[in-house]
Amino acid sequence: MKSVVTTVIAAADAAGRFPSVSDLEAVQGSIQRAAARLEAAEKLGANLDAVAREAYEAAIKKYPYLNNPGEANSTDTFKAKCLRDIKHYLRLIQYCLIVGGTGPLDEWGIAGQREVYRALGLPTAPYVAALTFARNRGCAPRDMSAQALTEYNALLDYLINSLS
Amino acid sequence: MLDAFSRAVVNADASTSVVSDIAALRNFVANGNRRLDAVNAIASNASCMVSDAVAGMICENQGLIQAGGNCYPNRRMAACLRDAEIILRYVTYALLAGDSSVLDDRCLNGLKETYAALGVPTSSAIRAVQIMKAQAVAHIQDNPSEKFAGAKLRKMNPPLVEDRCANLVAEACSYFDRVIAALS
Repeated sequence: MKSVVTTVIAAADAAGRFPSVSDLEAVQGSIQRAAARLEAAEKLGANLDAVAREAYEAAIKKYPYLNNPGEANSTDTFKAKCLRDIKHYLRLIQYCLIVGGTGPLDEWGIAGQREVYRALGLPTAPYVAALTFARNRGCAPRDMSAQALTEYNALLDYLINSLS
Repeated sequence: MLDAFSRAVVNADASTSVVSDIAALRNFVANGNRRLDAVNAIASNASCMVSDAVAGMICENQGLIQAGGNCYPNRRMAACLRDAEIILRYVTYALLAGDSSVLDDRCLNGLKETYAALGVPTSSAIRAVQIMKAQAVAHIQDNPSEKFAGAKLRKMNPPLVEDRCANLVAEACSYFDRVIAALS
C-alpha cells in the first residue's frame, strides 16, 4: 500500500542503502501532517452511517426516477445496495485519511469501477450527487477542524473526479 | 509493503469496518520523532555494528576463518559481511515503517532455504543477528557498554527520555527475533 513511508523505504531499498537523513525528514513531514488526517478519520468513522444515509437520500432526491419500477432504487434490496455502495466509498475515504494517500481508494474503489458500473447498467451520476452532497455538507468548526476538513474534502473531490 | 497505518487499514478492511483504533495511530504519531531517532541511531552506526557482529561471531568460533571454514577466503568473508548488512538494513526499514511486512517479504522469505542450499551455518548466522540485536538495543537506548568501550566511549547524551524508548527497544527486538526465528 502506497504511503510516504513505504515509498521512502522502497526507494532506499532499490538503492540498497540505509534510510538517509532526507528519508527520515520526508517521513517526519508526513507524521507532522497526520494529526489533521487522523482527526478527520476519527470523526468520519464515528458518523459513517449518518453521513452515508444523508448522502444517499440527497442523491435519490435529486434523481427521483431511480424509484420507478425497474430502476436502480426501486426495491428494498436495491435501496440497501445503493446505501451500502455509498458507505463503501466513505469507508475507503476513511482508509485514505488513515494511510495519508489515495492508495485504498485507487486499489479497492476506483480500479475497475467504470467497467463494473457499465456491466451492471448503473448510472454514475447519482453517486456523484451523493458524494457532492457530502463534499458540501462538512462545516469547519462544527464537524471537525479546518485542516481536517480540507483533507477530507480533497479525498471526496478525488473520488468525484474519478466518477465523472 | 505495509506500514503501521496501512496495516490498520488492511485489518479493518478484512472485516469491512472502519478503522476504529485511532488512539494507537495517534500514539505512533506522537512518538514519531523517537522512532526516527532510533532509526537514525542504527543507520548511522550500521557499518560498525555489522563488522563488530561478524567479528564477534568469528571470535567465538575460530573455525570459520580457517581453511574450509565458511568465512575462510576473503570472498566468503565479504559475502558474510554483506549479508549481515542486508539483514540489519531490512530490520531498520521495518522499524521505520512500524510493521514487519517489508522484512518478511523482502528479506526473510526463503532465506533459510537459500542458506541451506549454500551451506551457510545458520547457528553462526543467528549468533551474528543476536549480537546486532544487542547493539541495536544499546544504540536506541543510547546506553553503550562502559565496561568495554574504554576510551572510545561515545554517548549522544541528553536529551534522554525517562524510559529510554523502552517500547521502541521492544519493537526492534521483535524484528531481530523474527530473523532468528526465520533462520532456526
